[in-house]
Amino acid sequence: MADPVIVDRVTKRFAGHTAVEALSLSVPSGIIYGLLGPNGAGKTTTLRMIMDIYEPDSGTVRLFDQVGGGRTNSARIGYLPEERGLYPRMRVLDVLVFLAEAKGVSRRSARAKAIEWLERLGLSDWRMRKVSDLSKGMQQKVQFISTVLHDPDLVILDEPFSGLDPVNSQVLRDTVVDYRRRGKTVLFSTHIMEHAEKLCDRLCIIARGKKLIDGTLAEVKGTHGGKHVIVAFDGNQGNARQIFADRRLVAKIQDFGQQAELELAPGADAQEVLKALVDSGARLARFELASPSLHKIFVDLVGPEAATAAATGGGNGGSRA
Amino acid sequence: MHKVWAVIRREFVERVRTKWFWVSAILGPVLFAGIIVFQIVQSMGGAVRNVAVVDSTTGGLGNRVLDALSASGSFRATLVPAGPAVIDSLKDEVEAKHLNGFLIVSNDLVETGRAEYQASNLGMQTIENLQRTLGRLVVKERLEQKGVNPGVVDWAQIRITLDQKKCGRAGCVAESAAQSFFVAYLMAILLFMAILLYGVNVMSSVLEEKTTRIVEVVVSSVRPFQLMLGKIFGAGSVSFFQFVIWGVSARVLLLLRGPIARALGADPAAAQTMVLPHIPASTLAVFIAFFLGGFLLYSAMFAAVGAMSSNEQEARQAQQPVTYLLMISYLSILGLTNDPNSTFARTLSLVPFTTPIATPVRWTAGSMPTWELVMSLVILAIAIVGVTWVASRIYRVGILMTGKRPNLKELVRWVRTA
Repeated sequence: MADPVIVDRVTKRFAGHTAVEALSLSVPSGIIYGLLGPNGAGKTTTLRMIMDIYEPDSGTVRLFDQVGGGRTNSARIGYLPEERGLYPRMRVLDVLVFLAEAKGVSRRSARAKAIEWLERLGLSDWRMRKVSDLSKGMQQKVQFISTVLHDPDLVILDEPFSGLDPVNSQVLRDTVVDYRRRGKTVLFSTHIMEHAEKLCDRLCIIARGKKLIDGTLAEVKGTHGGKHVIVAFDGNQGNARQIFADRRLVAKIQDFGQQAELELAPGADAQEVLKALVDSGARLARFELASPSLHKIFVDLVGPEAATAAATGGGNGGSRA
Repeated sequence: MHKVWAVIRREFVERVRTKWFWVSAILGPVLFAGIIVFQIVQSMGGAVRNVAVVDSTTGGLGNRVLDALSASGSFRATLVPAGPAVIDSLKDEVEAKHLNGFLIVSNDLVETGRAEYQASNLGMQTIENLQRTLGRLVVKERLEQKGVNPGVVDWAQIRITLDQKKCGRAGCVAESAAQSFFVAYLMAILLFMAILLYGVNVMSSVLEEKTTRIVEVVVSSVRPFQLMLGKIFGAGSVSFFQFVIWGVSARVLLLLRGPIARALGADPAAAQTMVLPHIPASTLAVFIAFFLGGFLLYSAMFAAVGAMSSNEQEARQAQQPVTYLLMISYLSILGLTNDPNSTFARTLSLVPFTTPIATPVRWTAGSMPTWELVMSLVILAIAIVGVTWVASRIYRVGILMTGKRPNLKELVRWVRTA
């Protein structure tokens, strides 16, 4: 069986700029796939092309081994766009039934499933209320129900964690993991690396519309070689900065203030660095040999200006959950 | 198809559930009932008036005035000889509502044609009746004074009755100019209101989906074109439902005219003879066809306007050109009804944006050739296809677009590249 999502050299241009350029990716069945990139990298455009909302200028999208995007397969796909919304004046149950019907689910089974899901997420008492009467957190749950109500084989989530409160964030994470356990496929985009690192089996990092790297989490970390050390301070940092700046020992550094991630220079020994730090008078809380974090790889690949945007949560209206 | 149905049903159900739908659904029949009651009351007002004739004439003129008033059927008159304090006591009578009014006649009536009428209420109908009755009497008096035979005078005054008939495709039917004008006018206003109101509904519905961002989820399963059509047909069926409610309640109220008249204390027979304009089936068919066509044409444009705006204010501005297009035909109604076959009227009924109102008006007001009607329909149909095509392209790009409203150049690009 072919992969449920195959994107082949798609390009999308908008007035004045190229949002996505010759991007190819393929999402195998039964995994969680992360599409990572800084704001404006082309993640949403890519997902919209997969969903058939935008038509690619060139290239093809194949879903479930058929030419054609998400719309023809809408009954098998759950899609949660980055910009979320519901009909504020409609009743909760009616919204859910309508959105399922629009995907091709019969009215009766849509109703039964909506009632079941509302019960599961503790919204039973609200089903005849207007959406606008619900709190933001409750609306997020309703939105989420509408994505998975029809038990899709493929779930596509665009920045799913942005704007979620911690409780809903947990509900979403649990469901995503549960989906993989049941053999379904999840494709989600994010600019927050911690989420990707915890959830993804495979990932693809894009920037300025182009693919930088893709593969399993281990592959991505493997290709990004070098010895990495995580250092955390306990108050006094001594002359640590001076040592970090020594290019004979440290090739690159991600400095977080109380913590830093170092990529050692070729031939440098971690013991040397440890000794130098201790000698400099720094008090260490942690000194750990590690594989590079996704965040580090991401920053190395996309450059520091994008990293700032990613680290602060960016301008997508998203906040870390 | 199932998906389009889902969109149509949602649009219909959500709109019919609003209180505005029911307010206007009820307002229609209430207004119509008001018209019926008004007409019945009017017909009662046109009934016999109690008047006194204050007589200071000589030679029995007062009695002849009395006879003429009674013979007219509109007055129940009593003769009161003129005298001191008579006027004051009559005024009291009028105040006490025992009398509708009183007429003061002297020999001047014949000599200089002057008389005086005082009443609590100077109804136009009453004054006209009085003037006509007195006028005929005075002409007769004057001629007789000059020695003309009274028989000749009566014969000379036989009034002309003009039988009015409107001739059209289905032969000729009795109908007055006023009625035919009334029907055409009413039709034009109904068309204008319905197209505007429900077209704007389509616009605000598009705008709601866009501003709440739900549109992205919806177009991930329904094609934008299907969504737009579903919206238009959904809103259209709401307005059709509204018309059905109005039509049925109007019919019921008409059947209840008799009982209503009785309840108001009027003669039920009088209410039954109330003039009702004759609307042939062909006119109704033309009305429905052009309503549907006009609605499709304009709501596609309104959908595009909704899609290119990002908030209510922007939409209100952007809808103006569309509204003006519709206003042209609305403002031309008088011209159309006065001369339905003028070059002006013919042009309007062949321009796609004015034909939805102009053609039904021409058809109702005068004898529009059938081939012209067919041509109007064909032009309208072609325009609907063209406008819907353009609108759907604007719609497709616009619903996912945020930020500032596109200018004309950008719109053209949307249409070409969508």
